[in-house]
Amino acid sequence: MQRSSPSPARSYDVSSPHRADLSDIFNQDRNSPARHKQILETSRKEHTRIREEAERVLQEARLREERDRVLEQRRKEEERIKTEEQLAAERVRLNALKAKKIEIPPLLPDPEPPVVPKVAPKPAPSTTAPPPANNLNGQQSNSQVNGASPFQSIAPPAQSSSSLFATKAPPGPTPSPTPPAPAPVPAAKPANSVLGIGALLNGNNTQTNGTTRIVGTAQAAAPPAPAAPVIDRYAEIHKNLKGLRKTMTEQAKVNRALKERMGDMRREIRKCMGQLTSGAPGVNRSQQQKIINLLREALANQVQSRLIDPSDYVFEPRQPVEGAHHNEPALPSLFIYLLNIFSKGAISQFINEASARPETADPVGVCVAATISEPDFLWRGKSMIDILLAKFRIVCPVLFGYRGSEKTEQGRARLGWWKDSGRWIGEQQHMDRMTGLGAGFAAISLRKFAASKKQNPYPARHYWTAMARIVNTPAAEISNTQCIVLKAMIENYEGKFIDAYGSAAIVALRTALIEFPARAPTKGAAVNSLEVLATLLKKNTGLTLG
Amino acid sequence: MADLASRITKPDEAAGAAPQVEDPTEGANSVGIVENAYDVEVKLADLQNDAESPLFSVQSFEELGLPKAINDGLLAMNFKKPSKIQERALPLMISDPPTNMIAQSQSGTGKTAAFVLTCLARVDLSKPQQPQALLLAPSRELARQIQGVIQTIGQFCENLIVQAAIPGEVSRETGVRASIVVGTPGTVMDLIRRRQFDVSQLKLLVIDEADNMLDQQGLGEQCVRVKGLLPKTIQILLFSATFPDNVHRFAQKFAPNANEIKLRHTELTVKGISQMYMDCPDESKKYDVLCKLYGLMTIGSSVIFVRTRESANEIQRRMEADGHKVSALHGAFEGQNRDALLDDFRSGRSKVLITTNVLARGIDVSSVSMVINYDIPMKGPGAGVPDMETYLHRIGRTGRFGRVGVSISFVYDRRSYEALSEIANHYGIDLVQLSPDDWDLTEKKVQDVIKSSRARPDYAPNALGN
Repeated sequence: MQRSSPSPARSYDVSSPHRADLSDIFNQDRNSPARHKQILETSRKEHTRIREEAERVLQEARLREERDRVLEQRRKEEERIKTEEQLAAERVRLNALKAKKIEIPPLLPDPEPPVVPKVAPKPAPSTTAPPPANNLNGQQSNSQVNGASPFQSIAPPAQSSSSLFATKAPPGPTPSPTPPAPAPVPAAKPANSVLGIGALLNGNNTQTNGTTRIVGTAQAAAPPAPAAPVIDRYAEIHKNLKGLRKTMTEQAKVNRALKERMGDMRREIRKCMGQLTSGAPGVNRSQQQKIINLLREALANQVQSRLIDPSDYVFEPRQPVEGAHHNEPALPSLFIYLLNIFSKGAISQFINEASARPETADPVGVCVAATISEPDFLWRGKSMIDILLAKFRIVCPVLFGYRGSEKTEQGRARLGWWKDSGRWIGEQQHMDRMTGLGAGFAAISLRKFAASKKQNPYPARHYWTAMARIVNTPAAEISNTQCIVLKAMIENYEGKFIDAYGSAAIVALRTALIEFPARAPTKGAAVNSLEVLATLLKKNTGLTLG
Repeated sequence: MADLASRITKPDEAAGAAPQVEDPTEGANSVGIVENAYDVEVKLADLQNDAESPLFSVQSFEELGLPKAINDGLLAMNFKKPSKIQERALPLMISDPPTNMIAQSQSGTGKTAAFVLTCLARVDLSKPQQPQALLLAPSRELARQIQGVIQTIGQFCENLIVQAAIPGEVSRETGVRASIVVGTPGTVMDLIRRRQFDVSQLKLLVIDEADNMLDQQGLGEQCVRVKGLLPKTIQILLFSATFPDNVHRFAQKFAPNANEIKLRHTELTVKGISQMYMDCPDESKKYDVLCKLYGLMTIGSSVIFVRTRESANEIQRRMEADGHKVSALHGAFEGQNRDALLDDFRSGRSKVLITTNVLARGIDVSSVSMVINYDIPMKGPGAGVPDMETYLHRIGRTGRFGRVGVSISFVYDRRSYEALSEIANHYGIDLVQLSPDDWDLTEKKVQDVIKSSRARPDYAPNALGN
C-alpha cells in the first residue's frame, strides 16, 4: 500500500526528512520532544494525504460505475428499439404477404362445396374478424393456411402476444409477460369454446380452400399442388439448393483445390454433428468450434469457389444494412454449400437419431442456433436459417400449415410422407421421422438468446405459429401425422415453451393436448398419445391442463 | 421428463409394427411353424379394407384387450401398433388356460415388449409384494434393461413393483418383495435357496435369449434347476432371435406342449440393415479407416465389436482424440461399473460403444445406426470357425424396430475375408464392398446402399430356398 498510494513526487518530499532521521539516528536529541512532534506531524500529514487519495479514488469509481450503468441502460434500450424495429419490419412483411395471399381465392372455387356444406354462411363474419387481429399480431403468419383459430382467440387481447414478444428481448423479460398474461387466459377460455372451434373452424375452411390447397377427398380431382408452389418460397429455396449442389460438383471437376477440400469439409461437418451429445454445458464445444471453423474457412474462400448471390437462398430480398459483416451482393458458393450440408446434417440427425430418441434433438438444436447466429455468418444483418427452414418445409410440411389425408396419394405427399424409389415408406418409419422432426423443430425454435449478444435466428414465435397451424386444423382434416408432430414438439419442451410464453403457453398446451385430440374424428393411437402426454405431464411435473 | 425420455430408449425392441404391415401368407394366431414372413406393402387403395381382412386380427394394442393403464404406457413410449411377433404371440400367451410358448423372431422386432406385456397382463397388482412373474436373462445388463422396459410400459400401473435379482440389488434383510422379478439364473437360484424369494405363487417364467441360456453349460443347468424349484403349473415362455436345432429340441422339453413361432434362418437377416464390408489394406490401417467412417453418413449411436480388450482400449483412445464420446465395455469391468458405462451409452452421454462379445445379445439402444465388426466373430478351438449366430446378434444391435441401420465388417487378410464370405453365404446376403482409397466415392456408395435398402423393405433373400 505504501508504495502504491503516494505519488512519486510527494513521496520524495516526505521521505527526505526521513532520510535525515536515518542519518541523525545516533544524534543525542533523537528522543527529544521536538523530534517526536516533528515525526508525529509528518505522519499526520501522510495519513491525511492517503485518506484524501482514497476518497478521490472512491469518488472516481462511483462515477465510473454510474457511467457504465447508464451505458448499459442505453445499450439495452437500443437493443429493445432494434428488436422492435425488426418486429415491426417483420409484421409489415407478413402483412404484405397476407395481402398477397388473400388475393388468390378465385383460383379454386370448385372443391370448396364438398368440404363445408353447412358452415358456408358463417365464414363471412369470421373471416372479417380474424384478419385484423392477425394484422395486429403480425406473428400469426399462419393465416394463409389456417386463418383464424383457437389461437387467435387467445390472440385477440393483442397485448398477450405482444407481451409474449417482450420475452425474447433481453431487457426485462420476466416482468412483462406475467402481468398482461392473466388477461388473455380468461378471455381465451370462452373464446376457445365458443368462437374458437366453431367459428374459426369455418374460417379455416374458407381460407384454406380459398388460398392454396384443398383437403379431404375432393382434391384427387383438382390439381391443388401446383397452386401452392406459386408462393412457396421455401420450396424454391430448396430447389435452388439442389441446383447449387450440382454446380458444386461441376466446379469441383475443374477446380482441384476445391475438390480436395470440399469432400473432407462435408464429411467433417457430418461427423461433428453426429458427435453432439446431451449433457453438461460445453460438452460439444470442440465440435461446435470445428463446424464454425470450417464455415469460416469456406467464407475465406482460399480454394476460390465461385461467388454466388445469396438472395436465392433467403426467404425475401435483403438490402445492405449498416454495420453488417457481409453486405456484398455475392458470397462464396462453398460457404452456402456448407451451410446447406450443415442444415442437411441437422435434419438428417433429427430423422435418423431423434426419431428413435427425441431427446437427442436438443444438442443439435443448440448447435444449429449457435452456428447460424454467428455474426460473420449473417448476410445483410440476418441469418441464413432459411436454408434449414426450406428443408423443414419439404420434410415436415405440417409445421408450416400443410394438411392432407394419410389415405390418399396426394394427401400423403402434402404431409411429407417420404417416398423411396417410388414407394411410400412404411407407416412406422414415417411416424418416426415426424417424431424426430417435431422434436428438432422445437429444439431450434425454443432457444433462449437472452444471455447472448447474438440475435436469435428463429425465435419462439415461430414455434407458436407452427403449433397454431396444427391445432387450428378443422376436425375433419386432423391427421395422425399432425398429432405425432405436435406431440414431439411438446414433449420435453413444455418447460421452455412455458418459459417463453407464461400462462398463454399453458392455454396453448391445453388446446393442443386436451381440446385438439378431443375433437379429432377418429381416436387412433396417435390422437390418444396426445392425451397420454397430458397425463404424463401431470404425473411428472404436476402441470394440470384438463 | 428427461428421465422418461431416456427410458424410452431402452425398450425399443418393443414397439409396435414392423414397419410395413402384414403377412398375407399366414393366418394369424396359428399354432405351429410360421414359414414365411414376407412383408407386403399395402397398396393405398387397400387401406380401407384392412379392418375387414382376417389377416389384421389385431390392429391396435387396445384390441388385444390390455388394460388401459398398460395401453397408456405403450402410447407414452410412442408405440402405436403391435409388431408382428406381438400380434401373433400375445393372444396365445395371454389366453387361458396358460400355454407355454417358444418364439423366435428377428432382433428388434418387439420380443421384449411381447413378454413384458404378458407379464403385466398376468400380474395381480393387488398383491404388489408377492412374486408372480419371473424373467431370466443371461446378463445383468439385459436383466436391468428388461426391468426398465417393464417399468416404462407399466408406468401408469399403480402398485407395480419390479425388482432386479442380480448381484448387489436384493437386500439380505428383506429378500425379494416385488410382483415381477427379473434376474440372472445364478442369483435367482441363490435367493430361492436362501428362502428370500417366495416362489409359491409364481404364474409365469420367461427366459429371454433362450438359446444362449439353455445352450451354455452353466446357465442351462441353472435354468433347469431354477425351473425345478418353481410350481409345476407355471407358464413358460422362451424367446430368442436364433434357435439352433439342438437347443430347439431341448427347449421343447423345457417348455412342453408349447405353441411355437419360428422363422427360417434366411429370413433372419434383418432387413433394413445395409450390410457392407471394408477392405482394409492391413490390420494397422483399421484404426484410421474406422475414424473416417463417421463422416460418410449420418450416425446416431454406434457399436464397435472387437476381439480383445487391448484393441478396445486402443480404439477408445484414438476415437476420443477424434472428438467422439466413447464407452469401452469389456470383461475387465465388473457389475456396477458396467452398469454405469452402459448407462452412459443408453442415455446418450456417449455415442460410441466399443465392446467385446459381452454385449452382442439383446442390448437395445434404439438410436444405434451403425454396427462395426472391427474383428469378424469367430468361435471354436483357436477361434477357427466363423460364428454365424454372433454375427446376426451383433448386427441386430442396429436397425431396431424397422429403422434403417448399417453394418460394416472389416476384413484385411485372407482369413478374415473367407470367414466373412462364409457368413454371407450362410445367410444368403450380398455384402457391398467398400474401399478406403477414395472417400468421395466410398461416401457415395454408402449413401446409395442405404437408400436402396430402404427402398426394399421386404428384402429377405430367398426366403423359401433355405
